[in-house]
Amino acid sequence: MKNSAADRVAQFVEDLLKGRRPRRFEATPDEAEAMSAAAGLAAARVGADLPDKAALDRIHGRLAQRLDDSPAVEGRYSRRVWLRTFGTAAAAAVIGVAIDEVVTRTGPGTQIVAADGVLTPDGGQWRPVASVEQLPAGQAMTFSTETLDAVVVNDGGKISAVSGICTHLGCKLQPDIAEQRLSCPCHQTAFAFSGKVLFYRLKAAPADLPRIQSRVRDGQIELFV
Amino acid sequence: MGLIELRPSGRPEPDPEGAVYTDWESVYQDNVVGIYQLAFRRVGNAADAEDVAEEVLIRTLNTLRFPAPVHNVRSYLVKTARSVLADHWRRHYAVQNTVAELEQAPAEGLAGPPNTVASERAQRLLALLPDQFHRVLELRFLRGYSVREVAREMGVTEANARVLQFRALRKAATLEQEVLG
Repeated sequence: MKNSAADRVAQFVEDLLKGRRPRRFEATPDEAEAMSAAAGLAAARVGADLPDKAALDRIHGRLAQRLDDSPAVEGRYSRRVWLRTFGTAAAAAVIGVAIDEVVTRTGPGTQIVAADGVLTPDGGQWRPVASVEQLPAGQAMTFSTETLDAVVVNDGGKISAVSGICTHLGCKLQPDIAEQRLSCPCHQTAFAFSGKVLFYRLKAAPADLPRIQSRVRDGQIELFV
Repeated sequence: MGLIELRPSGRPEPDPEGAVYTDWESVYQDNVVGIYQLAFRRVGNAADAEDVAEEVLIRTLNTLRFPAPVHNVRSYLVKTARSVLADHWRRHYAVQNTVAELEQAPAEGLAGPPNTVASERAQRLLALLPDQFHRVLELRFLRGYSVREVAREMGVTEANARVLQFRALRKAATLEQEVLG
């Protein structure tokens, strides 16, 4: 029987991590404190806090239903072009490990993007970021150094890396494993794992993502960063 | 209280001085993702975040008269979000002190640079925890281990793993208040 504080909080955490709505119960202040921290950690998983399109559709539909009759917005509603796809909650499956553990921090340096679209930081060097086993096919892994954010992807067995920063206004991209793309949380723009622009809702097309040199050595994925 | 601050995210457009919203649809399109993310960080799951986001938008939109300044609308959305989230914790878990803290939470909400990442704050927080606490939360939340797998990995019983998780979360909450602010 689950009746200790640790058990009740464990059940709450289990529900969060399984993507379920937790059951209601009367929490003590200590339990509430732990649960609040758990909610924050659950949201910190890469992409976990991005709504999927179905959720946005439901919210929009219910708002339209309720606001169409509201005098506050009478006659204001016009059906616009529908919001396109956002990253899905399935992005929570993205590997979001603490890459700080494996990437040696580098000093600030200049980043050069050559004409071939490859980003090569001045003073960069080959650094291991993960083992090949940690990045199965179809998965993506984000990491940061002091000079750049990057995403390493395993695209059908081919490992590569691109900048993790949207080329429009610099928002951090969110890997979306279900859709196999990198989504910008700011302006409905998405890139393929190769760095190519997939879609955008901007006046002009953003540039493709710079690529980052990668290689596999002795089972370790290394990036030139 | 909550591990993750009210951070700006998913804000699709800048907030130029003097800009106005002219209909509810533009308020919705501009802010729904940011409100949802703000809610998710306080409730930790998609179903509750959806309900909270909807309630925040409906309460705000029901009181607006258009045209409405963008800055005012966003401030009001964040203020309303705090109130709705406080109600959520009160109704679902009979929590009072969390309510008070939520109501005093920072108000920046939807109004800053959009690329602060919750996971960075979590990583910083985990790094401050004692080893065992750090380990149990990392395995559980970032690596997706079950309680059973955590217990096996750490060489403890499942009951002890649950106790360890509880203590680690409480410590994380305390540290967040004391150190990260």
